[in-house]
Formats: sequence, structure tokens, C-alpha cells
Amino acid sequence: MIQLLDISKTYGAVQALKQAHMTVAPGRITALLGSNGSGKSTLIKILAGLVSPNTGQVLLDGQEVFIRSGNDAKALGIATAFQDLSLVPMMTVEENLLLGDEPTRLAGMLDQGSIRQTVASLLERFSLKCQPQDFVQTLPPSTQYMLEIAKAVHRRPRVLLLDEATAALHQDEIDVLFKILRQLRNEGVAIVFVTHRMHEVFELCDEAVILRSGETVKSGPVSDFSLDDLVYYMTGQRMQEAAAYEGLTHKAGQAPLLTARAISLPPRVKDITLEAYAGEIVGIGGLEGQGQSDFMRALLGASQIFSGQIHFDVAKAQFKQPADAIKAGIGFISGERNREAMFADRTIAENIFAGNTAKGRRFTFLKKSAVNRFANQAVDTYQIKVGRIQDAASTLSGGNQQKLVIARWIAMQPKLLLLDDPTKGVDIHSRLEIHQILRQCADDGMAVIISASDTDELMDIADRIYVFYEGMVSGMLEGENKTHEHLVACMMGVCHIQPERQEGGA
Amino acid sequence: MTLKDTAGKLPRMDFKLLWMRFTKSPAAVAYALSALLFALTIIINPKGFNNNFIGSLILLTVLLAISSAGQTIVLIGGGLDFSGGAVMSAAAIFTSFTMDSKDGLFLQVLVMCLAMGAVVGFLNGFFVVKIGLPAMIVTMAVSNIVSRLQYVLTAGSPAGWAGPAFINSVIHRFFDVIPSIVLYAAVFFPIVFWLLQRSRFGKQVYLVGNNKQAAYLTGVKVNWVIIATYVISGMMSAFAGILGAGYKATARVDIFSEYAFTSLVAVIVGGTTFSGGVGTYGGTIAGALLMTVLSNLLTTLGLPQTMRDILNGLIIILLLMMYNRSKAVRQ
Repeated sequence: MIQLLDISKTYGAVQALKQAHMTVAPGRITALLGSNGSGKSTLIKILAGLVSPNTGQVLLDGQEVFIRSGNDAKALGIATAFQDLSLVPMMTVEENLLLGDEPTRLAGMLDQGSIRQTVASLLERFSLKCQPQDFVQTLPPSTQYMLEIAKAVHRRPRVLLLDEATAALHQDEIDVLFKILRQLRNEGVAIVFVTHRMHEVFELCDEAVILRSGETVKSGPVSDFSLDDLVYYMTGQRMQEAAAYEGLTHKAGQAPLLTARAISLPPRVKDITLEAYAGEIVGIGGLEGQGQSDFMRALLGASQIFSGQIHFDVAKAQFKQPADAIKAGIGFISGERNREAMFADRTIAENIFAGNTAKGRRFTFLKKSAVNRFANQAVDTYQIKVGRIQDAASTLSGGNQQKLVIARWIAMQPKLLLLDDPTKGVDIHSRLEIHQILRQCADDGMAVIISASDTDELMDIADRIYVFYEGMVSGMLEGENKTHEHLVACMMGVCHIQPERQEGGA
Repeated sequence: MTLKDTAGKLPRMDFKLLWMRFTKSPAAVAYALSALLFALTIIINPKGFNNNFIGSLILLTVLLAISSAGQTIVLIGGGLDFSGGAVMSAAAIFTSFTMDSKDGLFLQVLVMCLAMGAVVGFLNGFFVVKIGLPAMIVTMAVSNIVSRLQYVLTAGSPAGWAGPAFINSVIHRFFDVIPSIVLYAAVFFPIVFWLLQRSRFGKQVYLVGNNKQAAYLTGVKVNWVIIATYVISGMMSAFAGILGAGYKATARVDIFSEYAFTSLVAVIVGGTTFSGGVGTYGGTIAGALLMTVLSNLLTTLGLPQTMRDILNGLIIILLLMMYNRSKAVRQ
């Protein structure tokens, strides 16, 4: 029996957990539920020894324990299958499965016979068709996730943590996994199961713990909850039985600026059809990893679609690389600021000017004053708080960094602006400012497509919302259809809203 | 931070602030260290302090600065080019071989050498970008090929002589002090400055070096830019090789091979980081001066060549340690 009591954890200004509590009993499968950013992963990481809580206690069989490292967790019999995998891509299946746990003989010699036997039986148990000598990076994502779980199970843990283990798995693999998990439960293992798929909760789990904004709002046996209850506790909103409404074609007569038809891009994007008109803000909703990012990158030409058609500005668009899409009048803002948008070592001026830097003749003379004027104008227009524009961009706060990136693109006046979860980790004030800027742009005739993991944000800003679920559009919400309840229902994949659009209209 | 607040109003003498600014500018540190080592050299050997000493110091500094220009650009773009020394040597051999003590062939030599440098640079860039091999391995391998090709051309013996007028255009001393190579520098330095600081291409190089993925998603043709940095680097090394032939009058195989390493150190000491995206050519020139002064000092000490090399290596490690420490911390 593991108990977490009054656990709080802050990352900088963000409070990830607020006196959260959870009890995990042996021989039970406990579902840990909550929407994005509710603190599930943080709770898992505390148990795995990757994160130390600011306050609170962890009790193991009534005794307080301190899990300060992965080794501590291992010593206590806690094993974790991580959402972002703990496999070494360049090592083989065999090496990964037994990493740090290799059977040895005299003088630390590896016991090859025992290794081969153990790995073979593990692979068979998980119905994995890969060879022990395959390199992990060559395997499909779903197999890698199964290996991650197999690796955790092999440790014979007392407590097994699975953080969104099924997100990347196929149905047959899920069946195998569930069989194994039930078996482990019957052997007395305590299992924590994080998932976004509600039906799995009812199919597999015995207990449920629900987090919202870092607090434990409800816990108890799964049999005490209905689907409606679960969604209510997770989101704070009652879900309505939604029937498919007739959609409104308020843009009839106008040709869409962007048409994406039946786009597929394995493994995440399966079949996406979407339209965007000049002057509107189109929202893309969905739980994390339902293909939103991949779809946006496909529009930008950063990855090539497998099948489907994209029309942009009446012409058929086949962008080989982002440079082509940007030349055609598309802008892209990533929420992964540090990795994909910021030039942290360069000055604020250079960061704002970057969109311009990328475009146009390379070997022309750029006046320093012109660059600075461009930057100063953007700083004034978008009220980015800066010391001096010659300071490094890394001196700015997160919200201002994001405004900087947005200013970079809006100053370029693209016809279509793509934003991939742009306000991730941005404070509420900056977020509102960004919304105002985007609305202004749309009013001026720009088409804006914005994906967001936050449902409130989508409701606030989007004219229409496409909800992605497992690589497909589970609903297109507009007009009176655009309600929080519909959005949540479509995100969970429990409802489908496809308005009947007049084909002649477009 | 007090640094930011008071930065605008300089007149107030704030020694601590000035010191902080000083240590934050690698070029300033390199110049200061150069002055220190220079003074040390003169103290050790006051008689050596004459016009010729100053003249050769300037000449060697300019030559190293020119040969380090390409490396600066490649490093800022996030790459590494070890083929500079071999390209320089090949260009030098080609120059003395083609000129063969005759004048009036400079333009022809220039065009041929730059083309050769561009081809070698393109191969470097192509293998780095398209095959995805580590820059160090690729440029080393290409460097070896270029070295071996020199043997094919010369069969290992010195090849011809540079034209007398051309030699004079490099080593002539104005007022008995200033070597005429500064005229080449007067053309070359502004070109590099424009290329890095005032052209769209240069800005793209900085963006690619700082954050390749962000540059790609911002619409920079990242592969094109990276290949271009190697091509430009090859051409600049070739140009340095031509001037090198003028300085040495004749050339033999691998005559400038040590420049591959020396130029890299000059660039790093001048404040360009290994991780890319940061650095200036002005810093590199300061670094070139420091490397030249250091080499002079070691010569003045009158140590045998082997001891000099050992000391040189140790001091370089010390310098690099100093510079590595001041690297900015990322968020």
C-alpha cells in the first residue's frame, strides 16, 4: 500500500500539484485521471523519484519513505513505464530490456544463456514480434512502448506505474497488455494507470483518482462513477448527450483560403479534412498527441503528407520545406519556444527580424538601423517589455518571448498564420494579449489556425473548432454547436459532430 | 541587474561595471592578453624590438586573420572546418607552380584557386548536410585528400616561385614598418564584416548556428546556408593560401597545414563558440593577434622547437579553458 499525502509541487511560478493525495492498494489497478496539466505526470514522477515534492509525505505500508532518485524507487520496488520512454534508441531490444538488471555470473560476467532465456520469455509474454538483437530505434513506436512496459514489468515491481502507456498502442497490443496487467493485479501488484481514454478506465481499472489543476478532486472505486461523472470531475463541466446539430455555413459564397482534404501522415494523422477562411480564427482542439502538431507541420511542408490534398490560396500546394510555405504566405508559431522558435543567444532585434531574415535576397546590404527600426516598431506595437533590443532574447520572460515570436510573424503579414499551442506555459495576462493580437489580425483579413490543449482558450478565441481524436476529426464545432460540453465530449472521442456542409457553397 | 540599468549611462566611472564589460568581450580580453605577452617579449629581449619585428607581427597576424575568416563563418553556422590548412597549402602550391617566377598571372591564379576552394568547400558541406556525417570527420577526410593531391601535383618537392611583383605586394614595407599585405586586408576585412554582420546571409548563418530547428521552421533554407558556409570557407582559405605563397615566395606540400588548428584556436579565443550562433570576425582578428604574439614570445625565449610546441599546446589549452568557462548559461 502506497499513500501520497498533501503533495505540493511548484515549477517556478506554476503550481503543478496542490496538496494532492492518492492511495494505491496492492492487487488493485488505480486509474489516475485528469486533463492536460492537471499534475498526473508530476505525481508519477514523484513516485518514480524524478521529481521531489515541495511538501507532503509518501508512505509505503505506513512508513514514510523518501524517493530521491530512480535507484531509490527501484529499491522500494517501484517500476515505471514512462510516457516519453526510457529506452536507449541505439541499443538492442535485449540490452534495453535488461539494462541495469543484467543477470551475472562469477566476477560480474554476463550470463548470456540466462539473458537469452529471459528476453525470449518476455517477448513471448508481450506477444512482441521483434528480435532480441533489433535496435530499438528501428522499431515502430507502438513496439517501443510495449518494450518500455515490458522493461518495467520485468523488474517484478510491487508498484507499477504506467504513464499513458496505451496512447501509442494498437488494439491488439492493448488486449495483450490488459491481460498482463490483470494477471499482475491478481498476483498482488499495485498498478497506477494514467490514460485519456475513458472506456479503458471502465474496462480495466478498479479505482479512480481524479486530479484537476493539481488537486485531488475525487477518488473511489470505478464502479461508483459514470462516464459523465468522470468527465465532470476532470473538467468541472457536465457533459451533455450531444446530438449532431445542423452546421452553419456562415462563409457560404467565399472560397476558403486553405483546404486540406483527407490528409494522412502516419502514425499520428489518419484522415483530416479542414478548411480555413480569410478573416476567421480556426481552433484545433483535442487531447495531447492526437495529430495536431503533425498536421500543422504537414501544412507548413516540414513533413510530407502520405496522402490527401492541400489547396492554399486557390492553388494546389506541395511545399517541400517550410521556406516554400512561408514564401507562399504562411507563418508558423510553435509553442515549443526554446526548441523551435527562439534564438536565445541572439538579440531581441535579431529575433524579431528573423522572419524577414529568412525571406528575400541573401547577399544584399542590410542596414543596422533598418533592422532596429523594424524591431522597435514591433516592440511598441505588441508591447513587449524589453530592456534594450540589443539584449539577448534569453533575458525575456516566457510570455514576452512568446510575444516576440508572434510579433516576428505578424510583422511579416502572412495570409495564413499557424499556431501550435502557442500559449503553453504563458501566463494569463500575456495569453490575453496574444488573443487580442490574433483577433486583430483576423479582423484585418488574416486566416488564423490555432491549436490549443486548453479548452477554455479554444472556446475564447476560436470561431470554429475542429476537434482531433486519434488522427481524425471527431467534431467540427461552430455556431450554437460550439459549447464546452461538445468540445469535451469530442475530445474524449465519445461523440461525433459533423455538420452537413453544402458542397456548392465553397 | 545593475548591469542593464546602468549600461546606458557610461560617464559614471564604475570600475566594477567596466571590468564586467571587459571580461564579457572576448575580443577585448584577447587584445589585453596580446599587449601583456607583447610587453613580456620586449622585456625578455629589448634588442628584438625593431621595425622588422613589428612588421612581421602585423604580416603574420593579417595572414592568420584571413585564413581564420572561413573558420569563423563555419563555426558561427554550427559547423567545423578542418580542411583550411590543406586548402591553403594547395592554393599556395598552385600559386607558385603557376606563376613560376613570372608576373601578371595573379588574376588567373585567383580565379583558379577560389574555384578549387569552392569545390573543396562544397564537398565538405555536401557530406556534412546530405550524408549527415560529423563535420570534424568529413573535413579531416577531405583535408587528407587535398593534401595527397598536392603530392600528385608536385611529387613532393617545392614547386616554382611566386611572381616577384606579387611577392612584393605582400611583403613590401611602407615606411619600413607596415607590410603591404594590409592592402589585401583593407579589401578582405570589410567583405567579411559585410557578409557576417550586414547581409541577410550572415544573419541566416547566426540563426542556423543558434537554433537549427527554429531557423528551419522560420523559413531559412538551412541546408543551403550550411553548405554555403563551407564553400565560402574553402574560398577564403584558398585566398589565404595565395597570399601565403607570396609571403613564403615558394611552397611545398602541407606548408600551411598547422593553420587548420591555429586558425581554429584564434577563432575560439576571439569569442566564437563551438556550439555556434555566437561570434564576430573582429574577435577573430584579436584572436589571430594573440596567437601570433604568443608564437613570437615562445621564439624569443630561445627554446628548442619541441619545447616551443609543448608550451604552445599547454598555453592554448589554458586559453580554451578560460574561454569555455565564460560561456553563457542557457535557460
